[in-house]
Amino acid sequence: MIELGQVQHATARFVERRYLKVLKSPVELSGTLSYDAPDRLVRRTLEPRPETLTVDGERVVIEAQGRVRTLRLEDYPVAWAFVESFRATLKGDMAALERFYRLALEGGPQRWQLSLTPRDPKMSALIESVLIDGRKGRINKIEIREAQGDRSVMTVVEDAQ
Amino acid sequence: MSRVGLIAVGAWVALMAGCAWIAWHANYTADLSAFLPRTPTPSQKLLAEQLRQGVVSRLILVGIEGAPPQALAALSQALAARLARDAEFAYAANGSQEQLAADGEFLMRHRYLLSPGVTPEHFSVAGLREALDGDLADLGSALGALTSRLLPSDPTGEFMRVVELLEPEAGPQRQNGVWFNSAGTRALLLLQTRAAGFDIDAQERALARIRSVFDAVAAQQSALEARLSATGPGVFAVGVRAQIKHDVSRISLLAVVLVSVMLLAVYRSPRALLMTLLPAASGAVAGVAAVAVAFGSVHGVTLGFGATLLGEGVDYAIYLFTNTAPGNGLRRSLARIWPTLLLGVLTSVVGFSVLLLSQFAGLAQLGLFSIVGLIVAYVVTRFVLPELIPDHFGVRPPAALGAAFAWLARGARWLRIPLLLAVVLSVAWLASRGHALWDDRLESLSPVAESDKRLDETLRRDLGAPDVRYLAVAAADTEQGALEAAERVGAVLERVRRAEAIRGFESPAHILPSDATQRARQAAIPEPDALRDNLEQAAQGLPFQPRLFEPFLKDAAAARQQPLISANDMAGTALALRLESLLSERDGAWTAMLPLRAVREPSAAARELSGLAGVHLLDLKAEADALYRGYRDQALHLALIGAAAIALLLFAALRSARRAAEVLLPLAAAVVVTCALLSLGGHQLTVFNLVGLLLVVGVGSNYTLFFEREIFPRSDPQRTLISLASCNASTVIGFGLLSLAHANVLRAIGSTVALGAFLSLMFGAILAASRPVRG
Repeated sequence: MIELGQVQHATARFVERRYLKVLKSPVELSGTLSYDAPDRLVRRTLEPRPETLTVDGERVVIEAQGRVRTLRLEDYPVAWAFVESFRATLKGDMAALERFYRLALEGGPQRWQLSLTPRDPKMSALIESVLIDGRKGRINKIEIREAQGDRSVMTVVEDAQ
Repeated sequence: MSRVGLIAVGAWVALMAGCAWIAWHANYTADLSAFLPRTPTPSQKLLAEQLRQGVVSRLILVGIEGAPPQALAALSQALAARLARDAEFAYAANGSQEQLAADGEFLMRHRYLLSPGVTPEHFSVAGLREALDGDLADLGSALGALTSRLLPSDPTGEFMRVVELLEPEAGPQRQNGVWFNSAGTRALLLLQTRAAGFDIDAQERALARIRSVFDAVAAQQSALEARLSATGPGVFAVGVRAQIKHDVSRISLLAVVLVSVMLLAVYRSPRALLMTLLPAASGAVAGVAAVAVAFGSVHGVTLGFGATLLGEGVDYAIYLFTNTAPGNGLRRSLARIWPTLLLGVLTSVVGFSVLLLSQFAGLAQLGLFSIVGLIVAYVVTRFVLPELIPDHFGVRPPAALGAAFAWLARGARWLRIPLLLAVVLSVAWLASRGHALWDDRLESLSPVAESDKRLDETLRRDLGAPDVRYLAVAAADTEQGALEAAERVGAVLERVRRAEAIRGFESPAHILPSDATQRARQAAIPEPDALRDNLEQAAQGLPFQPRLFEPFLKDAAAARQQPLISANDMAGTALALRLESLLSERDGAWTAMLPLRAVREPSAAARELSGLAGVHLLDLKAEADALYRGYRDQALHLALIGAAAIALLLFAALRSARRAAEVLLPLAAAVVVTCALLSLGGHQLTVFNLVGLLLVVGVGSNYTLFFEREIFPRSDPQRTLISLASCNASTVIGFGLLSLAHANVLRAIGSTVALGAFLSLMFGAILAASRPVRG
């Protein structure tokens, strides 16, 4: 995990499958991710509908369909869970993770799995857990399990640095 | 004591008792609205109402800082929870989700009647298909969670449409669940009092409540290091009133002490001193009572002005005592000087009576106060003092003082050329300044301290609280008429927005659509079976679970038949407040207000709106400034009329144009040089300087009348000089101290009168010394 904190800049491609109760089959999204230490994360969805999500500090800017929306992370716990689990993990910022989640780390440096359970009851009403799989300083997969039964699995293929 | 004397003293005691009772029970105000016209235009009325009792006037912005964010958030939660239940407050918001839940629930329940998206096409097969395709894409978006939660009951996205309509811009950021400033160092709350902004007593109670609840909460949570700051129009009014009270009581006390010390040195008699203060005090009490009776309330500024009436009020008694040597006969002196005193009083009264004609209640109050105060001070000197003092009473000023003044007076004529030069230079300077001489902003009247204004700006910026400048205003006879008008205006503004002349606008019809619109929206929803058919066709081939949209079909069917929304339905939510601020009723006339956001081209908006009857675009800032300019121009005209009336009065009384000119010239010179000196000191003149100048003419005319009439040289020229110098010193002390006040209004009057009165005496002496003594 210490290796994670040394990441200054990273880019990756991702494929995400969302298994939603309201749908008979999962939605599949794909696009790119980029991270700049310490706080900036950009998730650019290319398919099925272009959308850019930029997280900078506490501020989230969503650009989609020609509209720009600025949000506070706090107002969107699920987005926050995603952002913080990703960002804080890359940052190696255990304190930030500890603030929101109870942590459990399994495996070794070669192959680890971090599972996060929200501490705040308001958040755990929405999110059951977040599972992050990684190898050394890289994240391979993030799975977010929502309390209502929805689930999303994001597979990350990191670009060579 | 003679019978007449008994009657005089008895009447005086009774009058003073009555006036003191009235003054004690009077309602004191400090809001700017006293400086709004008494017969306003519709826009001015709207402005005045907003300032006096509009929702904006009832806002209190609160910041809590000085502790870690978690502690601040906890304080914010506890404070908001307790104040929301408090009778003084209509509303206490701190941005927590719990508070927004009530609003959200209302919007969700009434989404089909509130959403502008509800049209017949919207629920056709094509319309629904478009909505479902959008939903599918949304499910993959960053906000997908929200979509999937709302999807079963709101596949067409009406709820989000309504939310975006009402909250187009991000509010303050949240931290630990409540509003914070962007640095995360200050938790923010927005309160609204039940009482109107102009009700300062209620505002004071509300403020005390906030502080006591905060102290209790802070003690409970052991967060004693946290500090609370509050701001808003009501808070300002409370602060200004306290400030003026403090200024007035402190300065009056200091002035009384200093004037007393000075007079004791001159009189060398405590009794004479006491008798000198009596007429002035009587005048001040009577003046306050007169204003309270005539206007229903007394403005703090009037009171501040009143404290300094001491300056002119003591003069009459000073003239009397300094001109009476022991054993000379007090009544004889009085008989000799009272015609001159009377003329002095009359000039002042004439000068101030023009203020009574003023459109502005604040100025009229000052006028009435001064007139009543001076007349009472004069009458008490003339009729009551002789009854309280034995006739043989008199004072013996130090001989050296008289000799020194006589020496100075003889030398004064050498200053004629410098005086002329000073006047010429002053006129040139004033002419060169032109319009820059005046401060044209209504805020220049505001007695609010700069540091408080800065705090207010900071909290307002943090909270993104409305700082409304442009308002589209529509009038109607009924609530429905006003809402329909707001919808028509909204349609035009929507066009203006698309042309990017404005960024957006608020409308009461966004929160409460007119009945006609609500009915049209109900009619746009198809019959339940038809809607189900349309939906099934639209969802064909899409991966939605079967029967997913049952809640939507049920809600849409209910919406078709639900009772129309009325203002009562949103009681207890923040929306009720917003509606109240945008839609108001007064005397059966309804007004809808649509504040415009980020106006780039006011002229484009005005042009588009000009086509609508009964609608106009109001620029509050321009309106306020124009109002103030009108106010100042009127004061200027009145001052000129007052000066002309004084000249006429002197001409009639002295029966000689030359003698009237000899009285007036030094005053004119003093006024011009005073203006120039104030302006040179980097001060832009306001209407209060103008009022101060009127007082300069009133006080100064006494000096120059005495110089001109030269009643005493034959008996004792040195006594005349001592009395003039004493009068002048008391005025300069009173007003000079006022120029140290915190309230800018009091400072302006103080510095103007202290300077002007001193110059009047100097110039009077210089010009009098140049004339041969009349025999």
